[in-house]
Amino acid sequence: MFGYYLRLAFASFKRNPGLTALMVMAIALGIAVCLVTLTGYRAAANNPIAAKSDVLFVPAVDNWDPNNPYDRDKPWRQPDLLTFRDAEALVSTGIPDLNVIMYKVADVMSRDDSGMEPEAVLVRATSGDFFPMFDTPFLYGSGWDRRADAGPEPVIVLSKDLNQRAFRGENSVGKSVRWHDREFRVVGVLNDWLPSPKFFDVSNGPFNDMEGAYVPFRFGKQFEMGAAGNTNCWKTESIDSFERFTQSECIWIQTWVELRTPDKVRAYRAWMDNYVTAQKKLGRFPRPLNNGLYDVEGWLKFNNVVGDDRKTMVILAFAFLAVCLINTVGLLLAKFMNAAPVAGVRRALGASRRDIFWQHLVEAGVVSIAGGIAGALLGLAGVWALRAWYGRVIDEFGRVLPFEVGSLLLAIAISVIAGLLAGMYPAWRIGRSAPASYLKVQ
Amino acid sequence: MEIRPILSALLRNSAGALLVSIQIAITLAIVVNAVFLVSKRIETVSRPTGVDENHMFTGWMSGFGKDLDFHNMVREDMILVRSIPGVVAATPTPQVMLSGSGSSNCMYPLPNEKGDCQPVAYYEQDEQGLAAIGARLAEGKGFAAEAIEWRAKPSQSSPKSGQVVASRAFLEKLFPGEKSFVGKVIYDNQSQPETVIGVIDHIQGSWLDWDKVEHVMLRPMVGTGPSIQYLVRTKPGEIDRVMADVEAALKKSNKNRVVGKLEKLSRMKERSYSGHTMIVMILGIVTALVVVFSCLGIFGLATFNVNTRTRQIGTRRAVGARKLDIARYFLIENWMVTTAGVVVGCLLALCAGYWLSTHYGLERLDLYYLVGGVLGLWAVGQLAAWHPSLRAAKVSPAMATRTV
Repeated sequence: MFGYYLRLAFASFKRNPGLTALMVMAIALGIAVCLVTLTGYRAAANNPIAAKSDVLFVPAVDNWDPNNPYDRDKPWRQPDLLTFRDAEALVSTGIPDLNVIMYKVADVMSRDDSGMEPEAVLVRATSGDFFPMFDTPFLYGSGWDRRADAGPEPVIVLSKDLNQRAFRGENSVGKSVRWHDREFRVVGVLNDWLPSPKFFDVSNGPFNDMEGAYVPFRFGKQFEMGAAGNTNCWKTESIDSFERFTQSECIWIQTWVELRTPDKVRAYRAWMDNYVTAQKKLGRFPRPLNNGLYDVEGWLKFNNVVGDDRKTMVILAFAFLAVCLINTVGLLLAKFMNAAPVAGVRRALGASRRDIFWQHLVEAGVVSIAGGIAGALLGLAGVWALRAWYGRVIDEFGRVLPFEVGSLLLAIAISVIAGLLAGMYPAWRIGRSAPASYLKVQ
Repeated sequence: MEIRPILSALLRNSAGALLVSIQIAITLAIVVNAVFLVSKRIETVSRPTGVDENHMFTGWMSGFGKDLDFHNMVREDMILVRSIPGVVAATPTPQVMLSGSGSSNCMYPLPNEKGDCQPVAYYEQDEQGLAAIGARLAEGKGFAAEAIEWRAKPSQSSPKSGQVVASRAFLEKLFPGEKSFVGKVIYDNQSQPETVIGVIDHIQGSWLDWDKVEHVMLRPMVGTGPSIQYLVRTKPGEIDRVMADVEAALKKSNKNRVVGKLEKLSRMKERSYSGHTMIVMILGIVTALVVVFSCLGIFGLATFNVNTRTRQIGTRRAVGARKLDIARYFLIENWMVTTAGVVVGCLLALCAGYWLSTHYGLERLDLYYLVGGVLGLWAVGQLAAWHPSLRAAKVSPAMATRTV
């Protein structure tokens, strides 16, 4: 029967090619717009470390101004960065399985044997635990241990890109580079690693470029290097040396902890509360006790990585799809009712109401599948056009608007389901109409 | 008028009309909110920057090596850059307007943290700073070469000269009600005085999405390095050549300085606004399409109604209805369907606008947009029904006697 209904459907399309094209186009455009906005939304809503999402945590404490919250619109929000002293305390509790303390710095890198064109390199001053905590892929070598953290030992991990420029991509483990006028020994080279969004440093932009290299955190203080990212201060303090800066209420450091059991999470929370309460006795933390411990998902939400614009566009895109579908329902209804006499004849010749319903539903289904496929192609073209436009001003556009199968399949599925739902009512209406009234006038 | 019979005919066969009404309702909600969002974004993007961004470029420079004399490097580089034909002016500065990264401070109108402190973005520049950004002084003067502090040691304190050039918007907030600001003294939280020597009417700070984007001040100093930006303004039409010349000259002159990628400020501005531009493009396309589809929906319904009622029209014509009456019938019918949609659509648009404003911190929907949307949809609806109504009017009275 299905084959016969298909043939009937195609015969019906041939009778009204313009109307059929209009219906397919309506669905296609609705789907295309949804696909484009969904692509941007899903790229930002992505959790790049889903497997460890609920054991990795960002501790947040509110050391801000007693009179002005950090975020005036959302006073319950803690600052998204930490002071140097609080960050050091939060990673020396002994409770977590892994601790990371870090910030971003910048300086010139070169090679003593002049095998490399000197260049300014963004470097993450971080802990050796960074690499196991975030499952970074290594091409050569590995990260460093806690002894190197404590030293600090002049070890460095290069990104694949930087290793390409500094050593033409060879295994550079054991060789040395000069950075901030100091020799660093390469212990590891990362493979391609581009978590998107850049979940471990959303405060400096969730789609910002990855750092070119990684060195032990303590070099930051030893070299007295300010952050190459955001630094925010609120308090009246005379800051005349880097030492004073590290003891100030200025925030620029990030920490992450890996807590593998609920007991450890509880213990860590309790430790944080004790710490802040003790600090309050010393005259710090003038705001009410407000500690946060965010897992990856929670941290991405806390920082509104998706952004209101993307959400608004998705909502409006789906409202537009609704208009397109209602439009299609209306057109299908008109088309079916126009052809009602034919259905009347079929009914009179013995087709049941259900047969008529299915016949018309098949016709609606074919329209929606065609619309879905056309919409997917159109949507891909739209994403491609936006990428071309974005590419002129932004280098990381590929991460903001990735081509991905997930959104594509989602779009086609939406279109087929929506198309069948849209065909349901007209098909039901035509199935219900009495055959006699159409036979009379013939 | 024949409103009653039209209404009863509509209610008799309401499915199609209902669909079109719903479609119009959602269309109104989308169009009103989308146009509102888009116009706000366009307003933001087209604010004057106060600088000559189309003829400016900038690049990061980093000195390195054991014997680095940063200040000497900057001085030599400035002489070199300024000697290149086509360069109007150049300045070393760590902060670049429109770029999205910079520095800010909070300044008081009185010493000892008295009065309301006003947040302000600041640019550290040398004596060519004003010329290099192409900003116009409304009052006072810029910095003399002697006023520039070439800072020897890193510190947070304000420049030694105690001079500052500031934007009018910022000074008006600090000194409400005043008209002239030259000679006014402002203070940071360490109570170090800075005297206003010049006022700029319009200039934007580093962060274009900041609500205090026009709070700006220029400070006469060059930091301790080892990195800094060189901001260069060129003669009109020569920016591409000058960029290439500057890059080549800098790369050749000093091997202990890394020359970062030079970038036009116009591109930085585009990048800072890329999110807004994307919203404008996508919502613009959606708005246009949704109106087109509503038109097609109305057109389709009217055509369908005319097709199924040819006999009825013929009968009406045969018993004396004029062509005008027939056309008017269909136009009024369509107007009623549109109006039903518009009424529901107003509610929907207001709810959606309210929800967007509370949920996403967007501005509350301006009612002018709603009025405009309603009038627009009425007009569009009548236009879409125009052709089918005329076709209906052309149905011959003889149709009454035919069977199909």
